[in-house]
Amino acid sequence: MRKLRIGIGQIITRLGDIKGNRERILRFIERGKEENVDVIVFPELSTLGFGSGDIYLDKVNENLELVNELVDISKNIHPYLIIGFVDRDERGFFYNAAAIIGKGNILGIHRKVQLVNYRLFDEKRYFTPGTSVNVFSTPWGKTGILICEDVWFPEPARILAFKGAEIIFVLSASPFDRGKPEVWKAFLTSRIYDNILPFVMVNQAGIQDGVTYWGGSMVFDAAGNLTHQAALLEEEFMVAEVNLDLFRVLRRRDIRLRETRLEILEELLNAYREMQK
Amino acid sequence: MINILLTKDELELYRRIIVNSIKARIDKINAKGGVVALSGGIDSSLVAVLAKEALGDKVLALIMPEEGVSPDSDTNHAKKIVERFNIPHKIIPINGAIDWFFNIFPEKELSKKEVKLALANVKPKIRMIINYLHANLEWRIVIGTTNKTELLLGYGTKFGDLAADIYPIADLYKTQVWQLAEHVGIPTEIVRKKPTAGLWKGQTDEDELGHTYKEIDRILYTLVEMEFSVKEAAEYLNIDESVIEDIFRRVKLSEHKRKSPTITRLSRMCLDKDWRYPVERY
Repeated sequence: MRKLRIGIGQIITRLGDIKGNRERILRFIERGKEENVDVIVFPELSTLGFGSGDIYLDKVNENLELVNELVDISKNIHPYLIIGFVDRDERGFFYNAAAIIGKGNILGIHRKVQLVNYRLFDEKRYFTPGTSVNVFSTPWGKTGILICEDVWFPEPARILAFKGAEIIFVLSASPFDRGKPEVWKAFLTSRIYDNILPFVMVNQAGIQDGVTYWGGSMVFDAAGNLTHQAALLEEEFMVAEVNLDLFRVLRRRDIRLRETRLEILEELLNAYREMQK
Repeated sequence: MINILLTKDELELYRRIIVNSIKARIDKINAKGGVVALSGGIDSSLVAVLAKEALGDKVLALIMPEEGVSPDSDTNHAKKIVERFNIPHKIIPINGAIDWFFNIFPEKELSKKEVKLALANVKPKIRMIINYLHANLEWRIVIGTTNKTELLLGYGTKFGDLAADIYPIADLYKTQVWQLAEHVGIPTEIVRKKPTAGLWKGQTDEDELGHTYKEIDRILYTLVEMEFSVKEAAEYLNIDESVIEDIFRRVKLSEHKRKSPTITRLSRMCLDKDWRYPVERY
C-alpha cells in the first residue's frame, strides 16, 4: 500500500502581517521535518491572511518574495509544500492561488476558479478567476489542488478526477457561521462520493476583525470516511497518513467515474448554455 | 423552521469564539485591557463574564447606578457577578452628573415628554464618558454589551450604551443571550428577571417595546435569518401583518445606529465607501 504522510498546517494568520505569517509557516515547516512528513499543506492565502481589505493590493510583492523564499527552502528539505498565496500574472492581474513547491521548484500553481462575492466576501474586488483546473505530477502521484469555494461546485473536482488525480488538496479560509463545519463536511463528502478519491481540506484558524476562521481541517479516505480532524478554532499541526491505493480498489466495483457518459456531459453543457441565454 | 435556540455544543463553541474575539482585539492592538459597563442585567453580565475569561484581571467592570432609579436588585446583581467571577470593578454612582444636565432645564419643561426622553438618553451617555475615561487612562478598549435584537430594533442610545470598540454578543438574539448566560453559569435570578434599559424607574424593555423578547426574536429571526418578507413572515408565524410591519419599521428606521456617520463623497477614495482596511490592521 502506498501511503502519503501529510502535515496539515492549520495556522492562524493575520491579514497583511507577512512577517508574522512567515514565522508561523517556517515554524510549521520545522515541525513537518521533525515529523518526517512527505508534504506540508497550508491554508488559502497563508502568506497574506484572509479578509476583506485593500491590503491585498498593497502587499503582493512581499507575498511573492515569501513564496520565492519557500522555493529556496524546499531545495534542502524532504517535505514538499502546498501553500495559498496571491499570484500575479504578466498583465498585473491578481489571483487567489496555491503553489505546490518541492526540491527548489514550483511544480504547479492553481488559481481559484470560483471566486466568492456574496455575503461578507469581496474577492472579485481584488482577484481575477482562474480559468482551468489541472493535476500536477509529484513523487507520490498526480495531485489536484482546489481553493475553498472551488469545492462547493461539483465541476472542478470532477475535472481533476477525469485528469487522473490520485489525491485532492483543498485549501481554505472558511469564516465561521452557524452550521458551517457541518456544511463543509457535507460538501467534501459529496465530492468524494462523486469522484472516489481521498480529500485533504486545510482551513485557517484565528480571528480577524470579528470573523472567525474555524480550523477543523479534515482528512477523508477515498471511501468518504473522515479519518482525521484538527481542532476547531485553534492553531494545530496535524499529521495524517493517507492511503493512495484505496481509490483504485474501490473503483474496481464502483463504476461512477468510468460510466460517466459523454452524451450526458454534452447535454449538461448545452443545458447550461440554454440556462444562460 | 424556526431554529433560534442553540444546542449545547453550539453554546460552548460560541463561548469560545466570543472569548477568542475579545482576546484577539486586545492582542492585536496591544491594548492593556477592556472596560465593561456592568448594569447587573443579563447582557452586561454575560459580556463581563466572557471578558474576564478572555482577559483575566485586565478587564474592569464599571458599575454605574443612578441611585434611587436603578433598581437596587440590579446593582446587587452586578455586585454578585463581580464577586462570583472575581472581576476587578469600580462602583461610580452617576446622580451628580445627571443633576447637572437636569438643572439646564427650567422646572416646567422637565415635565414634557420629549424632555423626559432626551434626558433619559443622557444617562447612557454619561456612562459612556466614564467608560472611555477609564479606557483612555490605561489604553483599554470599551467592550459593548448590545445584542442582535436590540441592535436590529435600534433599542440603544447612539453614542451612549452603543458606543464601544467591539460588540462581542451583537450577533446573538436576546433568546440566545439567555441560553449562553445560563451556559456560562450566570445566576438564574439574573437570567430570568425582566430586562430593563434603566431609563426611568420601573421601566421594562418588553413594556416599552410592546412585545415580549420571545415574540420579537421569532419575528426578527424570520425576517433577518430566514429572509422572509413581512407578508411571508406573517403567514409563516401566523401573526398579524401589522405587528410584523411595526417591528420591520423599527429595523429600517434604526439603520443609522448600526453605521458610522455617512460621509458626503467627493473624492475617489471616500473613507466610508472606497477605502477598505481592517480595523485590526497590521
